[in-house]
Amino acid sequence: MGFFSTILGFCGFGVGISTGLVIGYYLFIYFQPCDVKNPVIRPLAEQDSQSLQRLLHEIPLWVKNPDYDRIDWLNKFLEVMWPFLDKAICKTAKNIANPIIAEQIPKYKIESVEFEELTLGSLPPTFQGMKVFVTEEKELIMEPTLKWAGNPNVTLGIKAFGLKATVQVVDLQIFAQPRITLKPLVPSFPCFAKIVVSLMEKPHVDFGLNVVGADLMSIPGLYRFVQELIKDQVANMYLWPKTLEVEILDPTKAMKRPVGILHVKVLRAMKLRKKDLLGASDPYVKLKITESKAPSKKTAVKHKNLNPEWNEEFSIVVKDPESRALELIVYDWEQVGKHDKMGTNVVPLKELTPDEPKVMTLDLLKNLNQNDAQDDKFRGQLVLELTYKPFKEEDMSKDLDNPLQKAPEETPPGGGVLVVVVHEAQDVEGKHHNNPYVRIIFKGEERKTKQVKKNRDPRWEEEFTFMLEEPPLKEKLHVEVLSTSTRIGLLHPKETLGYVNISLADVVNNKRINEKYHLIDSKNGKIQIELQWRTSS
Amino acid sequence: MGLISGMLMGIVFGIALMAGWQHMMRYRSNKRIAKAVDIKSLSSLNRDDLKKICGENFPEWISFPVFEQVKWLNKQLSKLWPFVADAAEAIIKDSVEPLLEEYRPPGITSMKFSKLSLGTVAPKIEGIRVQSLKKGQITMDIDLRWGGDPSIILAIEAALVASIPIQLKDLKVFTVVRAIFQLAEEIPCISAVVVALLAEPKPRIDYTLKAIGGSLTAIPGLSDMIDVSFDTFFSLVKLYAMLFGLTVFLYKDTVTSIITDMLQWPHRIVVPIGGIPVDTSELELKPQGKIKITVLRANNLKNKELIGKSDPYAVVYIRPLFKVKTKVIENNLNPVWNQTFELIAEDKETQSLIIEVFDQDVGQDERLGIAKLPLIELEAGNSKEIELRLLPSLDMLKIKDKKDRGTLTIQVFYRQFNEEEQLAALEEEKRILEERKKLKEAGVIGSTMDALDGAASLVGSGVGMVGTGIGAGVGVVGSGLGAFGSGLSKAGKFMGRTITGQSNASKRSGSSTPVNSVQENGGAKPL
Repeated sequence: MGFFSTILGFCGFGVGISTGLVIGYYLFIYFQPCDVKNPVIRPLAEQDSQSLQRLLHEIPLWVKNPDYDRIDWLNKFLEVMWPFLDKAICKTAKNIANPIIAEQIPKYKIESVEFEELTLGSLPPTFQGMKVFVTEEKELIMEPTLKWAGNPNVTLGIKAFGLKATVQVVDLQIFAQPRITLKPLVPSFPCFAKIVVSLMEKPHVDFGLNVVGADLMSIPGLYRFVQELIKDQVANMYLWPKTLEVEILDPTKAMKRPVGILHVKVLRAMKLRKKDLLGASDPYVKLKITESKAPSKKTAVKHKNLNPEWNEEFSIVVKDPESRALELIVYDWEQVGKHDKMGTNVVPLKELTPDEPKVMTLDLLKNLNQNDAQDDKFRGQLVLELTYKPFKEEDMSKDLDNPLQKAPEETPPGGGVLVVVVHEAQDVEGKHHNNPYVRIIFKGEERKTKQVKKNRDPRWEEEFTFMLEEPPLKEKLHVEVLSTSTRIGLLHPKETLGYVNISLADVVNNKRINEKYHLIDSKNGKIQIELQWRTSS
Repeated sequence: MGLISGMLMGIVFGIALMAGWQHMMRYRSNKRIAKAVDIKSLSSLNRDDLKKICGENFPEWISFPVFEQVKWLNKQLSKLWPFVADAAEAIIKDSVEPLLEEYRPPGITSMKFSKLSLGTVAPKIEGIRVQSLKKGQITMDIDLRWGGDPSIILAIEAALVASIPIQLKDLKVFTVVRAIFQLAEEIPCISAVVVALLAEPKPRIDYTLKAIGGSLTAIPGLSDMIDVSFDTFFSLVKLYAMLFGLTVFLYKDTVTSIITDMLQWPHRIVVPIGGIPVDTSELELKPQGKIKITVLRANNLKNKELIGKSDPYAVVYIRPLFKVKTKVIENNLNPVWNQTFELIAEDKETQSLIIEVFDQDVGQDERLGIAKLPLIELEAGNSKEIELRLLPSLDMLKIKDKKDRGTLTIQVFYRQFNEEEQLAALEEEKRILEERKKLKEAGVIGSTMDALDGAASLVGSGVGMVGTGIGAGVGVVGSGLGAFGSGLSKAGKFMGRTITGQSNASKRSGSSTPVNSVQENGGAKPL
């Protein structure tokens, strides 16, 4: 009998608990309103010390750390914009989601899924500080602290088998510290080619998930499990050093990198006009790509010759063959005073077929302005051989992804190429003039950058290469900033603004070093030099 | 028995379970909401809040200026600047050169930038303030400072003379830029941006303009011309005239006035964004009301003349584009004008009525004093007589001179427009500007700036320009003036930038004696 009643008791408990759950559900959950209310925000000054204590947890980073900047103005901006942003985002989300839902539901025998409610709530995301990092590389790094504790309400109504259920996401909270890197910086708007985002810490995610009115996330244990799961998923994808890359510009175009080489052979000129009073002219030719900043190239001067033969070859790097042209000017050399222009002409680069030598005979003109009345005087002719060799696509994309290029094939085994990039200098100061240029001396070989006039913070961005038989483990590189006077005068024609000797052993080990060096013999001067050691292996 | 008690226990347990869950739900929900509230309130802290939170240990590195500092933005900006400069240079070159080509005056064969560099100094943002003054709008004030070192060389090639490079350098801009974002419910959520320069503090835009190989200011000294044959001389004059015609656009005061009139708050530029067709007419500046001002009299003016007394006249304006002048009362320190003018106000809250009193002189007219009446002090529909003290300058910060400069009595009457009148006023304004443009094209007035100067001052100053050192040539040049057309009219404007009334026309044209024209030149120095 006792056994029987126990069995009955268990059965009764089983029936009772289901009844009880149903009653309880209706009593406590179903009839409770589940719409989202706007929280009341009281000014801080009115709050008691207990709630202030709670605040200390969330205190913004800019209060705690001096290296974080406050961006409350952005918070304010977002706050005013938020209602509009909310509507716009929700509308877009609905428009995107609805077709996808319509496509997917027939598979699962669900009649309909629709948004009953979709709003992001009244609380905007906030930024609790911004930190930026300055490096020597061509990139901008910033780390905003993003905290969004919102009160969104996303309610999905699902109809299946004649029944209707609702799933509601409320109180979504996302705290994250993304690192946003804009790189590489390029000289065309918006001035960077890629946005790289990664998370510095695992993000904090919290929300309520109401299924038919009951919050699943408040079942003890489940919340933690779900939270961990989400964190791990996100972390797997974006936690530093994993990144999300968004390409903004095509880097090859944006960088204005060289895309080919133009080989010019200046053969000869014929029947030049006489410019000198006594004897024949002393002609030489200057070549340059239009609108290029690179210094122009010159042939030798052929003295007293109106039909000179040069047979000199030049290679010029080309960045934009579509719009640029080769400009040729024949000058008459003079011992004293200004060199006279004897004639000029241009060859648009798009007229050249790649990889095909072309011999051209050009008539020399007085100037290049079409509007100007040309005098029909015959000024002679210039004969050239031109070959345009574009770089191959593969070569270009390769060296973009990897800043460490390989040495060219003709490098001797064991050796390599030392690349020196002179970026910029700061606070270089001359006593009498300030027209700095850089001289690099390596193993007695001397290279120079071009001169920047009247500038204490010059930028050169010039690259020099040295081909070496063996790694320069014991060598040093001598970098010297010099200034020459622009005026002709015997006083202070040249002065040193500072120098630095860089040991190259580190470069061989590190392959690449990009540093600012303090200049010796200079008050505050610094120079940024990038060194690369490229080997064939 | 067992069944019933089991069921009862089960029900109680089930209900308790649900109650527990519900309690849990409520607890977690409250916790989340509390956190959301905390984070919201921490997103805009002020000093008192922080003091309350931190108590004794208030961090010293924190301050709360009106304009929030943006060090991080400046760091990024200075790093980015060389690239921005490069990109902007290319864009400016590509977009401005065809424009220049279009507006190229005849006789000049080409105008090209031979150098265009925005310099190495990045603009600094001293601070940012964000306000929401109107629903659906965000007002952002940016305190911008750019003490840059750009160097822009415009090479002008004329048919007869070699290239004349004009260089613009040391451009400095110190101003507060106000950007108003009109919000919309479509991505990108901003339908239009309104840009203006805040009037307070006054925008400062400085630059140096020079012709390479000598400052432009030096060119009026054409004394070497005497030896040159007349043929060449004329072509040179023509050239310089055109050159001046160009520089008028770049001429400091003019440019500053134009910028002020176009950009200084409440005047603004409206830029629609994002391809959403929106009605921006709300954002545009519209005439709000009309001010009837009667300049009654002035008392105890300062005497600036050596012989006799000042010859005062008053200039009244709200926008520098629409100036009105009284007649000149000669030899009187207590003049009574009793002249009435009507001016249009666009923004009663921020605009002011400016009244300047000048001493009409042979050379540059001297300012006897200036007075300002903020329109906000006026009541609509009420006529009021106001006595204003004349000040040496509106910017009293640097001026030590506290001497009394006399007073000015005016009567003002402000009337708010209704909608129809508003439209009519807008049309009228457009018409006036259009008319002036036409006149300008015909070469009658030097510039839209000083419409009242009229042809008289043009002739006088134009002669003044050529007159330096070529006394004999004056008559010839004077008569040949008409032929020079609009180019020279601009030149005349450029040289004789004096504000004169119509009534002194006779005196003005009589000034074509060499002595006077030299004085003219002296007056025209401020470049």
